[in-house]
Amino acid sequence: MPRISILIAESTCLIRKGLGSVIQKLGNVEILQPVSNKVELCDIVNRLKPDVLIANTNMLDSGCEDLKKPFIAANKMSLVLISEDKSIEGKYNADALIHYKDNQSKILEIIEEIVNQKAEKKRINKSNETLSSREQNILKHIALGLTNKEIADQLFISIHTVVTHRKNITQKLGIKSVSGLTVYAILNNLINMDEVK
Amino acid sequence: MKMADVIQMNYMLIPVIHRFGIELGFGDKTVDQVCEENEVDLNFFLQLVNAYHDQDYFPKEELQSIPVREIIAYLKMTHASYLNNTVTEIEQKIKSLELEGSEDKKYIALIRNFFEGYKSELTEHIMREEDVVFPYVLAVDEIIKSEQITDQNKKVFESFSIEEYEEEHDDVEEKLMDLRTIMIKYVAPPANTNLYHSIIQDLFRLEEDLNYHSRIEDKVLIPKIVLMEKSIKNLF
Repeated sequence: MPRISILIAESTCLIRKGLGSVIQKLGNVEILQPVSNKVELCDIVNRLKPDVLIANTNMLDSGCEDLKKPFIAANKMSLVLISEDKSIEGKYNADALIHYKDNQSKILEIIEEIVNQKAEKKRINKSNETLSSREQNILKHIALGLTNKEIADQLFISIHTVVTHRKNITQKLGIKSVSGLTVYAILNNLINMDEVK
Repeated sequence: MKMADVIQMNYMLIPVIHRFGIELGFGDKTVDQVCEENEVDLNFFLQLVNAYHDQDYFPKEELQSIPVREIIAYLKMTHASYLNNTVTEIEQKIKSLELEGSEDKKYIALIRNFFEGYKSELTEHIMREEDVVFPYVLAVDEIIKSEQITDQNKKVFESFSIEEYEEEHDDVEEKLMDLRTIMIKYVAPPANTNLYHSIIQDLFRLEEDLNYHSRIEDKVLIPKIVLMEKSIKNLF
């Protein structure tokens, strides 16, 4: 199972250290250097890209737009909030909530569930590390010999989007030429050998 | 410096000296002696070896004195050795791998097709150089030497410029790189792994050699012709 990295953002020293030592009991997790200063949080998240962010709600209203929903979604980061107030969850679209009064086994249960979900997702992504299904679809069209314009028309997307996808595909696979991409597509059963002109 | 030491330093130079007609077994003879015996222009040989050996090497003053004919003759020899030896050998290896295979046959056929595609691209590129670029270069050389423009040379001179060549000197190596990436990353090797590995190593060597080759074109031939074009424009 891949290890899951967890970042704790909490200004209270007691909670920060306490939570860290509780979570440590879970195997399979890596606890990153915790953050106590909310000004730094944004930078650190961007740099470390943790799988799970456990944050006190008072760490998130720092005006750091990045930490709001889109950022969390884009980074495929799970958000666990620490709070006294149970109604806060909806505001941040958190995946789970740890309450001040939760006991150790409750906290472990919450975190473990999140960690297992993450690990499972990571495992799936890894076996399919290379291309997203959208990219696979684009690659298929490239391999069939379509031009960017033709692909854009068929998939109802802009040429610009096709070009971006192509760039990403090339970067991920390390293959630049169309004929190289075609060979890859055949090897991975994206297209049939007979389909190629 | 002894010729043997030059070769010990960089074994990729073995095919290079071979293209000059220099054979191994030169004992303790110096580069100078070996070149003299084989009637090779020493200055050109040194420029060539330096450009091969050192990526950042850039000859300046020495450029003037290298005979264009020698460069072209050398490049033509290199082209021939690619097409007749290196590329053909790799192709043969892929074919014999294909003949051996049973369940992998389909994949090896893909690789063979791909390599054949590359081969025809390389051939086309080489033909373009030999049919268009080299005659142009020789015409420029003749104009400089004779200090006059014949009608025929005038036509050639006006039909092309080395700048054009510089721009279109595109990356023939792209497909070659793709092929080895595919063979390394995406294909499970067939039963005869030895042969498969040796093909990959051949691809690396060919790629390296082609890089050297384009360095000669980009760093020796092109700058020289640019200078010559300028002086022709000043002359007439």
